[in-house]
Amino acid sequence: MIMEADRIRDLLPHRYPMLLVDRVLDAEPGVSLTAVKAITVNEPCFADGGDVAYPEVLMMESWGQAAGVLVLLGEELGDRVMLFGSMSGVDIHRRVFPGDVLEHRVRIFRALADTVIFEGDCRVAGEPVMTVTRMVMAFRGVTT
Amino acid sequence: MSLVKADVRVVKPADADGAAETAITIDPAEPVFAGHYPNYPIFPGVCVVDSVHRGALATAPAAVALASVESARFLGAVLPGDVLRMDLKWTRDGNDWLCGGKAHTGRGAAASVKLRYRAVS
Amino acid sequence: MTNGQIVTVDAEDLRLTLADTMDVDVEQLTDDADFIEDVGVDSLMALEVLAVLEKKYGVRFVEQEMRELRTFADARRMLTTKLTDS
Repeated sequence: MIMEADRIRDLLPHRYPMLLVDRVLDAEPGVSLTAVKAITVNEPCFADGGDVAYPEVLMMESWGQAAGVLVLLGEELGDRVMLFGSMSGVDIHRRVFPGDVLEHRVRIFRALADTVIFEGDCRVAGEPVMTVTRMVMAFRGVTT
Repeated sequence: MSLVKADVRVVKPADADGAAETAITIDPAEPVFAGHYPNYPIFPGVCVVDSVHRGALATAPAAVALASVESARFLGAVLPGDVLRMDLKWTRDGNDWLCGGKAHTGRGAAASVKLRYRAVS
Repeated sequence: MTNGQIVTVDAEDLRLTLADTMDVDVEQLTDDADFIEDVGVDSLMALEVLAVLEKKYGVRFVEQEMRELRTFADARRMLTTKLTDS
């Protein structure tokens, strides 16, 4: 079940420069998903020159958005927003660079009411570069 | 090299107990807000972690590289115009350094973050 | 059928695991300290605690049991029952 960037864009509220998932390679809604994000030197985070290692936190955000897509494939957002609740045990194994394609593998560990717990990892060319022990997203109604 | 343009400033460098204080002003003109989200700007949680991380690098007791986000708990929204203040605490763990950061805005707690760093030569 | 190797609950190991997940010192997690009232666990953290215990001990909690899990003593009792029953 391949999803290109336009379908991802229809699902996620994120936009430039914070839309960090390029393609879904495979998904079982509510269970697991594989998605990719290509890193290019033409991204805004490299605009000011300097070190070309991709910021680790953006790799985490990209993974978190892939997790969001996994949930949104199974249920509608409605008038809720998706909030980042917490993350634990997110280990960085090596730095990643322009030319690397991040392959996020996301699994739902537990889902209860409006809270979902994810686990998984991120690989480049089959080699794990980041392990996510736990990431928790919450869906909350917008209070005005 | 960060998506956030503003600098993290060191308010109090690390003292003998490893306690430090940093801050960053969240400018409404930050590029991240255009996409997070359109018409509903919220400073991304990962950017809060990034601010703690950059402040950690500026106050680190040695040359270090980020090894792990041991935990990051998001407690309250950070909005355009906020000043995000971070109380940092450095401790040693074998060859690693741990940096605990409590981030808060004028409205209260924003996040509680624990980062693990590896010493690099 | 459990997939973990844990068959008994080591009380102090459980206490350390819970304290770590709740982001508090192990001393704060007395046998009867209420997670929500005394330790300051919110609903998000409560779910994480559940997930950590499920993963570590290879057991499963249902929503009703979540509400009964209020103290360290509850956790130890409920885990021991689940591990003995399996």
